[in-house]
Amino acid sequence: MPVPILKQGDILIASIQSALSDRELVELRDSFSDQIGRFRSRGVVVDVTALDVLDSFATRTLRGIAHTARLRGATAVVVGIQPEVAFAMVQLGLSLEGVETALDLEEGMALLNGAGTADDDRAR
Amino acid sequence: MGEQIKDDAALSLMHEMGINDAAIERRKKIVALEPADVTRIVAIGELVRPRVEQYAATFFDHLATLEEARPLLANRTLADKAKQLKIAHLAALVSGDYGPKYVEERLELGLVYARAGLDPRVFLGAFHHLLRNIGTSVMQAFERKPREGFDNFMSLKKVAFFDIGLIVDVLVFERERVIRQQQEAIRELSTPVLQIRDRLLLIPIIGVIDTHRARLITESLLKAIRGNRARVVVMDVTGVATIDSRVANHIMQTVAAARLMGAFVVVTGISSEVAQSLVALGLELSKINTVGDLQGGLEEAERMLGLQVVRANGAATSPIAMR
Amino acid sequence: MTIVPGELHVPIEGEADIVTARQKGRELAADIGFSSTEQTIVALAISEIARNIVSYAQCGEITFARVDDGVRRGLLVVARDRGPGIPDIDLAMRDGYSTARSLGIGLPGAKRVMDEFDIQSEPDQGTTVTMKKWLP
Repeated sequence: MPVPILKQGDILIASIQSALSDRELVELRDSFSDQIGRFRSRGVVVDVTALDVLDSFATRTLRGIAHTARLRGATAVVVGIQPEVAFAMVQLGLSLEGVETALDLEEGMALLNGAGTADDDRAR
Repeated sequence: MGEQIKDDAALSLMHEMGINDAAIERRKKIVALEPADVTRIVAIGELVRPRVEQYAATFFDHLATLEEARPLLANRTLADKAKQLKIAHLAALVSGDYGPKYVEERLELGLVYARAGLDPRVFLGAFHHLLRNIGTSVMQAFERKPREGFDNFMSLKKVAFFDIGLIVDVLVFERERVIRQQQEAIRELSTPVLQIRDRLLLIPIIGVIDTHRARLITESLLKAIRGNRARVVVMDVTGVATIDSRVANHIMQTVAAARLMGAFVVVTGISSEVAQSLVALGLELSKINTVGDLQGGLEEAERMLGLQVVRANGAATSPIAMR
Repeated sequence: MTIVPGELHVPIEGEADIVTARQKGRELAADIGFSSTEQTIVALAISEIARNIVSYAQCGEITFARVDDGVRRGLLVVARDRGPGIPDIDLAMRDGYSTARSLGIGLPGAKRVMDEFDIQSEPDQGTTVTMKKWLP
């Protein structure tokens, strides 16, 4: 079952419901790549709330999605990383460098809608 | 009602205590319970079964003579439950099946004793009294074959000791639970997470940070980010005794993990001397946002949230812009 | 140290098995009594080791078991494969090397988070990674 990608205006949203195999992750990345171009989306939200683990391949794929989005002038945000998952990733040394992150879908959308803050140089 | 025991309490307890199939087998091994014993026990089943209510009564009669058992007997609900379970226990004792279901029932009875604050010594005294009664009956029935009677009773005692092991473990475990809860409370008190404003948390850390505490702090912080939907966390380490490279690494990991949840951490309270020594050790402190003192850190955090705090002096005030 | 009977074997033959291995590992860790956070860490370490098997040896197996050293209870994970082996273990265990060669975070990461970690590898004879995590 491929992960459904929903379109909300010029933002694409994908909500991952269960552990994806490597192949499914790659398919997701390719779907995004295709649809960003097709719909000229300016933002992509990947919701990983339901995932209880994010391993090196998943992390690499998410970075890949963000990279692809950037190449097409869009911004990708990963939302919903749970406390235990975040902790485990950091302990193992996995990084989402180059990827925007937000707490949940609501925050992710707020981020993409660029509600301006005073701080624009929140460099990583 | 504090004394109401949920139906699945015994099952959860079993899980908590780690009493799985392997552990049950181990316990049987420890009392040397073997198939031959089970055969002997089942053989005297007919002796015991008709009199289970009588035997159960001797258990409680003995308890009635002990001052220490008053809390259990005075509590009608618990006492009735205990009596009911005891009768069932004695029937199961000679059934020959001592698997997970049997163990669960023992734990259920153990929980009743624990609720009543029954002391292990008191339980042992009454249980011994009960066993002696059963033993007397067995020996009377096997008057002509005393050796066989003795062997049968000794086999039964193996299961009785299996039971004792379980009941005592429950009593100890429950007593330690209270201690664990208190320790947890102390731990929580020692790392408060304060919501200062909408989306802004403050975590003041005081004392020594070892690996265990560092992990707890990180877990609390991350859970609080989720629970309070915080975007910025000010982590103040002014009160931390020693900030060495290990502690600094914990801090950096916490900052990285918070970032994965979309929150920024401002670390306050690292003096410039400490900062310099950490950098000298090769730590990339530039990866974390540090501000000298707490006040500065809070202002930085508010700035990041797009907040502007203005004195109310009657003059035109700037609107507070929130992201 | 006793290995409590009841080992769990998960064959690793394809990338779908990576998910199976880490889920089984997580279940066992939960049963042993590890906290939710520790379960996630264990699952992640298993995922990386399983991934290494799939990437470099094509197939192998991971065995899980409870261990008890008399004082503590814990989880034992043994990952075996008959792949090409790791020519230079020291090099492979260095952080930067793994990332650069896209070997996942595999070995150094897993070593960092597990309590005990051992790796044996001979060229053309395969690799065995043994890891343990103890309940605090």
